[in-house]
Amino acid sequence: MIEAQGLTKRYGEVEAARSVSFTVNRGEVVGILGPNGAGKTTILRMLAGILTPTEGEARVAGNSASVDAMALKRSLGFLSGDTALYQRLTPREVLRYFGRLNGIDEASLARRIEELVDAFQMRDFANRQCGKLSAGQKQRANVARAFLHDPPALILDEPTNALDVVSGRFLLDAIRKERQRGKAILFSTHVLGDAEVLCDRVLLLHKGQVLDEGAVKDVVARAHAQTLTEAFLNRIGDEA
Amino acid sequence: MRPLIVWHIFRKDLLETLRDRRALFTSLVLPLVIYPLLFTVMARVTSSKREEVAGMTARIAAWGPVPERAMKAVLAEKATLVESLPTVPADAMERARRAVADKVVHVVLVTPDGSAASSVPVTVYADSTQFESDAIQERVLKVLRKAGVALLEERMVALGQPAISARPLAVEGFDLADSARRAASLVGALLPYMVLLLLATAAFYSAIDLTAGEKERGTLQTLLTAPVQPLEVVSGKYLTVLAMTLVAALANIGSLGLAIGRMLSGAGGGEASFHMGPRVVIALFLTLLPAALLLSALFVAVGVMARTYKEGQSYLMPLLFLVIFAAVGSILPGAELTPAMALVPLTNVTLLMHDVLAGHATLTLATMVIISSFAYAAMGVLLAARVFETEQVLLSGEKPWKDVFARKAKGGLTPGSALFFVAVLVVVAFYGSIPLLRAITREQIGRAIAISEVGFFLVPAVLWALALRVPLSDALQLRLPSRRGLLGTVLLGAGGWAVGMVVMSFLSRFEGAREYSRQLGDLLGKHGPLSLGESVLLVGLLPAVCEEACFRGVVLVGLGRTGSRWLAVVGSALAFGLFHFNPYHIVLATVLGLVLGYAAYESRSLLPGVLMHFVNNSLHMVLARVPSLEARFESPVVIGLGLVVTAAGLWLLRGSAVRPGPDPSPSVTRPGAVLHP
Repeated sequence: MIEAQGLTKRYGEVEAARSVSFTVNRGEVVGILGPNGAGKTTILRMLAGILTPTEGEARVAGNSASVDAMALKRSLGFLSGDTALYQRLTPREVLRYFGRLNGIDEASLARRIEELVDAFQMRDFANRQCGKLSAGQKQRANVARAFLHDPPALILDEPTNALDVVSGRFLLDAIRKERQRGKAILFSTHVLGDAEVLCDRVLLLHKGQVLDEGAVKDVVARAHAQTLTEAFLNRIGDEA
Repeated sequence: MRPLIVWHIFRKDLLETLRDRRALFTSLVLPLVIYPLLFTVMARVTSSKREEVAGMTARIAAWGPVPERAMKAVLAEKATLVESLPTVPADAMERARRAVADKVVHVVLVTPDGSAASSVPVTVYADSTQFESDAIQERVLKVLRKAGVALLEERMVALGQPAISARPLAVEGFDLADSARRAASLVGALLPYMVLLLLATAAFYSAIDLTAGEKERGTLQTLLTAPVQPLEVVSGKYLTVLAMTLVAALANIGSLGLAIGRMLSGAGGGEASFHMGPRVVIALFLTLLPAALLLSALFVAVGVMARTYKEGQSYLMPLLFLVIFAAVGSILPGAELTPAMALVPLTNVTLLMHDVLAGHATLTLATMVIISSFAYAAMGVLLAARVFETEQVLLSGEKPWKDVFARKAKGGLTPGSALFFVAVLVVVAFYGSIPLLRAITREQIGRAIAISEVGFFLVPAVLWALALRVPLSDALQLRLPSRRGLLGTVLLGAGGWAVGMVVMSFLSRFEGAREYSRQLGDLLGKHGPLSLGESVLLVGLLPAVCEEACFRGVVLVGLGRTGSRWLAVVGSALAFGLFHFNPYHIVLATVLGLVLGYAAYESRSLLPGVLMHFVNNSLHMVLARVPSLEARFESPVVIGLGLVVTAAGLWLLRGSAVRPGPDPSPSVTRPGAVLHP
């Protein structure tokens, strides 16, 4: 569903990602883990069709970013720390705007917005300008924005960042529900505890390269560690 | 590019901008309040100060042997002598400066010791930086000059001559302009300068907020995750900045016009009245439109380079200074709208506004200003679009300028390249035609036509195709239509002239069009310097080849890459029309361009257009020499027949292309292609 084939991104002499390949299947949550500067955001941006790879190919639901980036974006919900909401619009207006950009007809859009307002418990603040919302409320609205067009694939870049425990738990539950609905989910986080409980597989990324990939228990075992955090530190230590 | 997506982005951006109360207050509310207030206060203060000085008793010092006659005259006009010294002090200038600065006196009258009795110099010291001293000096000088004339008259009488002989020339000035025109001229000098600055200010804040501001707030990347193309995003933002700029401009024009008008009527005591009617407001708005288009494009293009609001301000500030520089150019002494000045961006608009307000704008120069401004605006939009297509810029990369300008042109003829080509052509044709028209006499008109057709159209079209490495057969559509298309081509050639006849018949209702037609007839008709053969060759065949290669070749093929037939046909027709400069000829050429463009788009061949263009132009050369034929071709029956034949020709040409598309390479609107570095 989400496919990275030899993705490489170079900025002059700097190589932000080097020949990264992996696949995320339907009904699967894959965690992409790495320290700051590991190349996570670059890879996710290439997969979302925002950045053009120097080499390799990004595909989502069979749509290649280099051939039909618009189709790729329609089949993808993208959320990252850099994707903020419009401060002077209400969550309802933000959803309506992105629904229209995704080509959803007005009647279906109105229904879908109400569904999401209920599902994400946004009724109390759906008509309040985003600039006046709390971090948790903003993140709920932002996740609703990413889920709005009901895409078959989701890329979530550190979605639990800056969230309190309740909001973080709420979000993880939402991701689980989407997995149950058969979505392919690529999930990046530096909270390894989240990855441990949520991800079916993980990718350890360092200096733009994949160090290891597999189920959490296999990655932990291969690193001769007890926990994912330990495995992660061991692998980085090996590379450093 | 999908207009509906652009519309959604525009609506959202406008809504957000309108909710920004601070920006709204600065760009709309403040001008509406501040200018009337400022000018009313200024008018009141100036008026009351003037009245105060007029009724004020002047405090005067007299140093040295100032003639008694002069002193009497001065003191008779509301003045009092504060100090009188029999000799001039050694440090007279410094002492006078101090006395005026300390407000002990307003002016000092100085006559050097030992001056001859027949001609006594009297110098009036004053400080022009002090309103009262300056005004009193003016009053005293007037009195002294009058006293001098009276003295001269007395001397003439003493010599036995009539007193009037003291004034051998009775000189008087007379202003032909009525009070309204004087006021309009005064307003015209101020208003364009201020309005351009206000336009720039409005564009400045909207552009920063919607570009660098969005990047800083992190919402630009959110937008880029949606299925939208960068060109759609830039177009939506551009339209928002344009809308805000125009609304602010309208508010400012109204507010400033009223305020200055009130100030003038207050200051001039009714002598200088100023009224800005709806026609003037509409004319001003139309004049401002191209300036707003250009400013919005430039500010969006530069604003998006910045990563933060603060950085945006530092990037745009130099641009704002350039606008000020351009605006100042219009208020320099002797600055006037000439064909050359009509091509200077922004300065041309302020000069045209001045002419509109003063009531002596000409249609030809106005057209030149508007066309050149649209061309510059098109270049600005293309620059903005190019910047937006640079991912490093969108994602706040480290070297955005390098990325934007170091990219190599690729993709052959694109819609962008077609628009850029038109903009370049405008500059080449305008700047090229000025020396050409100066150097060539009426007798050499044939040479001028040949040089302009080949130099301004054919050569640029060929060079453009070569520079983009597009085969000439593709860029200029040098291919034959299908058999069916060939039949359509023949019919179009036989009847296409009728379209021009219908348009000309409509335009002949306007005196300007009739006058233009007469001028063309004088130049190219039987009394002109060209023979029939030369006319057919130079006015019939040459434009048919050169202009078709340009507009139904490079421009149409480039615009055709959008995949939209109407955009290609209408766009190329408008570009074709614009190059006919005279407003009436623009209408005629645009309508003909629609038919020519449709034929070329459908047949993927230059031939139908060349044939119709040639027959149409040549026919008019023949008709100009054989008046008896003219009546036949103006007959409704013949024109109707021509239109039917044209329609049949176009029907046969429809879908007659041998090849499937205007260009075999893929459409540039292919999603994803726009983000490639």
